[in-house]
Amino acid sequence: MMQRPRPERSSMRAEQRSAWSLTAPYAAFLLAFAAYPVFFALALVFMHWDLVTPPSFAGGDNVRLLVTDARFGRAVLNTFVFLAIHLPLQIVTALGLALALNRRLAFRAFWRATFFLPVVISGAVVAILWNALYATDVGLINNLLAKLGGSPIPWLTDPSIAMPAIAVMVTWKNVGFYVIIYLAGLQYIPQSCREAIELDGATAWQRFRHLTLPMLLPQTILVVTLSTINGFQLFIEPYVMTGGGPLRRTYSVVLYMYTNAFSYQKMGYAATIGVALALIIGAVVAAQRRVIGTAEAA
Amino acid sequence: MPSISFEKVNKKFGDVSVVEDFSLHVEDGELLVLVGGSGSGKSTILRMVAGLESVTSGTIRIDDRDITHLAPRDRDVAMVFQDYALYPHLTVRDNLSLGLRLRRMPTAEINRRVAWAADMLRIESLLERKPKQLSGGQRQRVAMGRAMVREPLVFLFDEPLSNLDASLRARMRIEIGGLQRRLNTTTVYVTHDQVEAMTLGDRIVVLANGRIQQIGHPIELYRNPINRFVAGFIGTPPMNFVEGNLHRENDRVFFVSEGLRVQLPAERLPGSVPSKAMTLGIRPEDVTLADGKPTSGGAGAARLSGRVLLVERLGGTSHIHFDVGPHRLMAAVSGEDPPAVGDTVGIEVPSERVHLFAADGNALARAE
Repeated sequence: MMQRPRPERSSMRAEQRSAWSLTAPYAAFLLAFAAYPVFFALALVFMHWDLVTPPSFAGGDNVRLLVTDARFGRAVLNTFVFLAIHLPLQIVTALGLALALNRRLAFRAFWRATFFLPVVISGAVVAILWNALYATDVGLINNLLAKLGGSPIPWLTDPSIAMPAIAVMVTWKNVGFYVIIYLAGLQYIPQSCREAIELDGATAWQRFRHLTLPMLLPQTILVVTLSTINGFQLFIEPYVMTGGGPLRRTYSVVLYMYTNAFSYQKMGYAATIGVALALIIGAVVAAQRRVIGTAEAA
Repeated sequence: MPSISFEKVNKKFGDVSVVEDFSLHVEDGELLVLVGGSGSGKSTILRMVAGLESVTSGTIRIDDRDITHLAPRDRDVAMVFQDYALYPHLTVRDNLSLGLRLRRMPTAEINRRVAWAADMLRIESLLERKPKQLSGGQRQRVAMGRAMVREPLVFLFDEPLSNLDASLRARMRIEIGGLQRRLNTTTVYVTHDQVEAMTLGDRIVVLANGRIQQIGHPIELYRNPINRFVAGFIGTPPMNFVEGNLHRENDRVFFVSEGLRVQLPAERLPGSVPSKAMTLGIRPEDVTLADGKPTSGGAGAARLSGRVLLVERLGGTSHIHFDVGPHRLMAAVSGEDPPAVGDTVGIEVPSERVHLFAADGNALARAE
């Protein structure tokens, strides 16, 4: 007679025990540094708190202030202006560089490392460096312009130029990261498909338009999503380079949140700005996915 | 219908020569099969016709037009790839029509051609699907359809069946052959599978190490292999080879090896034999199992004795592996009652069916 296998309860319990003990450290970390701050921030939306005296209940004060606060509106608009320049620029430069670096190129590893270097440099250091590049009188860029016969451009002091200038800089800093994503996508396009489309009669542009670009759609979705999330969190560059000026034109949402929290000690209002920003990011990314998803289905 | 001609085509990758002195004329409407092992240069030759690989020296023409240095898009050839190379982001319909759209063909004509190919390949119901929703055989059909709608001068097939399972491969082989005859398009077909080569090819080119070994009709290669490589490559199961020497006794000639002695028809041997050391080849299907006691020599057939080592039953036929002295030979015999392992059997080797190869591998006497 065959023996029926018994469920091994003790070993299952031991397995569960070890599973819990293995996940416990990370779960504790997550609770302390991610979940707790999130719930704390949500609670702060309904509080007044100056970091010194105990928090007091504020009801809807912070939310009412937010919807009527012209400065917050300005900061949101500034951030959208930044994204409108940064996003397309980031996609085009990352894709262009990835295409160039994907070819047979002398010192290819060197070039790849070079373009990735700014990604690992601290944002503050990059900001200081670009401050020097952008300086109106002694900056390297204006110097170069002067040599070419141009007149100096007030990169960081003209209200209409400062944000585009910062967008260019942020694009430069992050491009290496997105190049890596696109390079990975390019490796994934089968060589035989490239050859097939060539035999099908495609010119270089048609090959890009009908094969490379559509096959890089997953990577493009990733690049758009990540650089949108990163872009909404614009902070260190205006903080170091312009302080939000000129005429508050580079005042980003996160910079405004920071100022409220640590300059004005309005933690409740800062938390409200933070929660609003999270909602805006969620809505924008969802909208982007919808648009790109429709393009994919078409 | 156009012809293709290769004139002294060479291809080197760095210092490594992969195609040497390749000259050949592919006739109008012919299905020519390039067959050889890996590294034989067969795919490189095909890719040089497509323009996917540059030509180191020599000329390739389609009809009278020199295409040696034309871009792939200007050659008017269509290729079916081993991995099908379907565009994964496009539907079957768009896969078929992309090449025509890129060439700005009128929509009505595109639709007509897509419908024609879909009907011919029975893929009408798949037109709105993406490649990942298709089976291997269906993808293969779409890949052929994409080549067909172009109505190119030349079809190129690069091992198109090697990703399919055995039964589907056999079916698609028949379909490709039928399709090519109906369309009558000049075709170059690359494969490492000699069965595919034998069944499909109007002519076969056997390649080894970048050089043509032999060109001919399938049955010609089977009957009269020009050297030992071709003899071993063409035909399944492969030919038996035995190393030995020629031995003359009066006006009779024997092939002699340990445990084996076969009289050869003297009139088929040249007066002077290049070397005494020879290789005898005999196809397994030419070896027959004989009843009664084996004798050595004799005019019509050599009768040998062997011990059965292994029997592979394939149903209607069996492959019998046996030892004759130190030599291991195989016979393909019909009938459902083969001898058992360990039996001693009489074996007949008809002397008019044997092949002889000199020490350099070239055939000496050919069985007619």
